[in-house]
Amino acid sequence: MRIAFVDGGTYYHHATFNDPALRRYFDDNIHAPALARADLAQVDCLYVASRQNPVDLIAARDAIADFLAAGKLVVALGESRADLWLDDVQWRPGEVNFWWWREPGADSGLRVGDAGHGLFERISLTDATWHRHGDLVTPPGAVSVVNTVDGQSVLYDDAASGPGRRIVTTLDPCYHHGSYFMPAASRFLHGFLPWLKDGAPARAASD
Amino acid sequence: MNNVLHVRAISHELPAFTALLQARGMVSRSLRNLCDADFLGRRAILIEAHIDQRTLMDHRAVLRTHLDAGGTLVFNGHLVYPIFDELAPYRVAAGRSVKDLIVERVHAHPVFDGVSCDDLSFRRGVAGFYGRGANPAPPGAVVLHRLQEDGSPLDWVWQRPAGGQILMHGGNTCWMYLDDASSAARIGPQLLDWIEAGAPALPGNQGE
Repeated sequence: MRIAFVDGGTYYHHATFNDPALRRYFDDNIHAPALARADLAQVDCLYVASRQNPVDLIAARDAIADFLAAGKLVVALGESRADLWLDDVQWRPGEVNFWWWREPGADSGLRVGDAGHGLFERISLTDATWHRHGDLVTPPGAVSVVNTVDGQSVLYDDAASGPGRRIVTTLDPCYHHGSYFMPAASRFLHGFLPWLKDGAPARAASD
Repeated sequence: MNNVLHVRAISHELPAFTALLQARGMVSRSLRNLCDADFLGRRAILIEAHIDQRTLMDHRAVLRTHLDAGGTLVFNGHLVYPIFDELAPYRVAAGRSVKDLIVERVHAHPVFDGVSCDDLSFRRGVAGFYGRGANPAPPGAVVLHRLQEDGSPLDWVWQRPAGGQILMHGGNTCWMYLDDASSAARIGPQLLDWIEAGAPALPGNQGE
């Protein structure tokens, strides 16, 4: 899987992309304002890193749609308003539960969605748990990998809503990992990126 | 031309800070909507931590001109692109445990009057919001805050020999605490007070 890192130019994108432990997973780096005009012929997967300027991605909306139409994979990490530049994404904002773990008996509000999904061979639910930035409606035919306790999704895998495949999440690991500030986000990337590089197998091998 | 330019990032937008800027007649613009000319003729430029530093590289020359002309630059974040010739890139602290993230004051500055280091070290009981490393201080810079454990110079102010002044905060935007019920909430308004007062250098540190 040839993965292009879509880079918003921030310090946390720079740190994530250049992390020696993660650099091997990315084959290319595209500055987000240049995405609309980029040559994506040699790219199989667009990794749209967390916390981007939605304006840049909206400007690339047609290029992203063409990329999907060619049967390729778009990974939309959180806090970039994927609902504004991908079809069929419904995101609902919510109060961010920043310090939930400090309450006694606290619940993150997250649950395993499809336990047989391929991603769970690489990460556990705790690796996908820090705080919530809203939630998503799982499109018909898509697989919700991490659910919220009230039936929405924070990470889903959608090969049903049209050509190509979309992995959409509210999680923003690149921001936290690139800020050296959330061990779970680092663990998430250490599991998610090799899974992605191996072709993002949707089912666990034992399934 | 309005004298103070706040260069907005696209996340962690803080309506309360934007309101403060507007109340003082200061301008807030997205980096995507700025051209070189917009950086000139300012007495102070404020840059958010989540800024697209890669795009800021396109404006290196006018940022240098701004400083050469005696302007003040307030920069937040981990400096990872060579936007400023004289500055070295960010270095993360060696340790990530609570004791590695305790902040201590080295030198007083009006921006941080009445701000307790406890409120910088901990935010709702969690350490690390304020800084986890530093952009190295150039020779002659006055270090304001550092990590107690390894001495990383989190905040410093530098009278640049070629002109101008940089107030550096090597972490998340230092006015993000505006709505917090802690002494850290003073940073935002006191920063703007200091700029309105002409961003005076510390006594004994007037530079050239």
